[in-house]
Amino acid sequence: MWDSFISLMINVLLFIYQMVGQNFGLAIIFFTILIRLILYPLNTQQMKQSKALQELQASKKWQEIQKKYKNDREKLAQEQMKLYQEMGVNPFGSCLPTLIQFPIIIGLYQAIIRALAVSPLQLLNLSKHINDGANLIPINNHFLWMDLSLPEKDFGLTLFGYGVPIMAIIVAATSYLQTKLMTPASPGANDQGAQMSRAMGLYMPLFMGWLAYSFSSGLALYFVVSNLASILQYALMGKLNWRNLLPGAAKTG
Amino acid sequence: MKKHLLTATILLVSALLLTACSGSSRRVVASGWAGLAADETQVYLAYHNFVYAVDPADGSERWRYPKEANPALTFYAPPAVTTDGQVIIGGYNHNLYALDAESGRENWVFPIPEGRFIGGPLVTEAGIFAAATDGKVYAVTPEGKQLWSPFATEKEIWAAPVSDPDCECLYIASMDHRVYALDARGGQLLWKTDDLGGAIVSSPAMDDGSLYVGTFGRQVIALDAGDGTEKWRFDTQEWVWGTPALDENNLYVGDLSGTLYALNKADGSLLWQVQPGGAIVDEPLVTAEGIYFTTEDGLVVSVTPEGSIRWQQTLDGHTYTAPLAFEEMILVATDQPVALLAALDSNGVGKWVFADTKE
Repeated sequence: MWDSFISLMINVLLFIYQMVGQNFGLAIIFFTILIRLILYPLNTQQMKQSKALQELQASKKWQEIQKKYKNDREKLAQEQMKLYQEMGVNPFGSCLPTLIQFPIIIGLYQAIIRALAVSPLQLLNLSKHINDGANLIPINNHFLWMDLSLPEKDFGLTLFGYGVPIMAIIVAATSYLQTKLMTPASPGANDQGAQMSRAMGLYMPLFMGWLAYSFSSGLALYFVVSNLASILQYALMGKLNWRNLLPGAAKTG
Repeated sequence: MKKHLLTATILLVSALLLTACSGSSRRVVASGWAGLAADETQVYLAYHNFVYAVDPADGSERWRYPKEANPALTFYAPPAVTTDGQVIIGGYNHNLYALDAESGRENWVFPIPEGRFIGGPLVTEAGIFAAATDGKVYAVTPEGKQLWSPFATEKEIWAAPVSDPDCECLYIASMDHRVYALDARGGQLLWKTDDLGGAIVSSPAMDDGSLYVGTFGRQVIALDAGDGTEKWRFDTQEWVWGTPALDENNLYVGDLSGTLYALNKADGSLLWQVQPGGAIVDEPLVTAEGIYFTTEDGLVVSVTPEGSIRWQQTLDGHTYTAPLAFEEMILVATDQPVALLAALDSNGVGKWVFADTKE
């Protein structure tokens, strides 16, 4: 079942690769956009639910009950549930769309990695997934300055004798932008949720940058396109929070 | 502050685990299969981190190179042995190595700028020839010096070059879907074919002025060795990965559907086919007793020249490599450290196994 799904994803990816003149970088970009378009309704629903939850947690009422019942966890939970019901927010409403999207995103990732086969066993494995694209083998892995099958640390550009991890920097920057622009300003700067959000907003881009540096650069390209697609989707919904980019915005709300 | 530290630690551990498990560095994980070669006195097996010299009498290890596993050095290419007692082997690390066949000592290293070696080297009187994943053919003297400037094809080369001593030619099959003929003395191009419809990852078989190649385009193609013109094509069910094996009149080749085809060399007509199970990746072995081949499922199969299965043995693990005949034995490499090499007699009865007990 999973193998058939991966085969489908690989064959769609190779079809796009053929359509764009056998350029695997462009194929990754268009494939990611295609999957994002397919997931758009689910993603929108998840974003709306998530946004509603974040706004609720940023509300005055929420902050008040946090302060009021900070020493009584049971009462706090009861009050929070009451507030969820009052405001019509389902605290788990953003989970289901995410759960449905997850295997598709994993499939996309697997399709990219498997199609970038460079060693005998990888290619033998790929052969089991390809229907009519045998004439496309070997895949042209070169895109701009990158060998998409190699991690950036293996071919990175050097400047004054030092390796410059360009894709890792772009991935980290777009991840940072995505987190900043998509997080609503929180008046309760000191509550647990806001603290955790700030921590994730700081460390997640570094984490993504590290992954981009260590994994095949084809995956780094996917991260960049995916981040930009998320930002664009939020922009289309009119929900980008530009104020978060201003210095001190997180503290002042 | 504690929460920052916790988040940072979780992400750091995740990053380390993910990058350690990804195999993206391709330095740690064995992603190829064993290569086999032999001279009169011993058998050479290249697999993963080592080249082993194995005593054919009992399967014991005589030496290994390097002494300790080096994660940056793996071997996907089969070795070749020179007449002056050197084992030539390409590493997946941009180096071609020459080892002393007696001791396993490193004689010389020939580095190349970018490519990695997946195809084996060709050893001839004119020199040592090896092709790499940068699409280039390298010519080296027995002392490890460059013989002529590398010849470049358009894509990776995974196949060992083949030589024709009559014309001092080299034949190169490239993943750019073409076969090239070069002058072995200077590396000049003599001819090249048009796009043959699929990547070619194994060497051509050569016989009586003809070359035979299998392609990922699900075909076996016969070419005139003099000018590369096509003689015939035969359609297979799946990709053809291995080199065809030849006898006086026939050609034997397997495909990834697991079918072994026997064809008439003259016109490519099908004589018979068998499909015991599992993809056939490498070349069949033709002996006086019949044809032997391995399949990915761990099968070693013996077939009569008429196409009847004489016997089949199932080994643990996967078998991708072509069987090798040594004296009265059939040697088969697997991917299992407890039986990296198994020796069978011509009836399929096991004689010994070589295990890497230090791994």
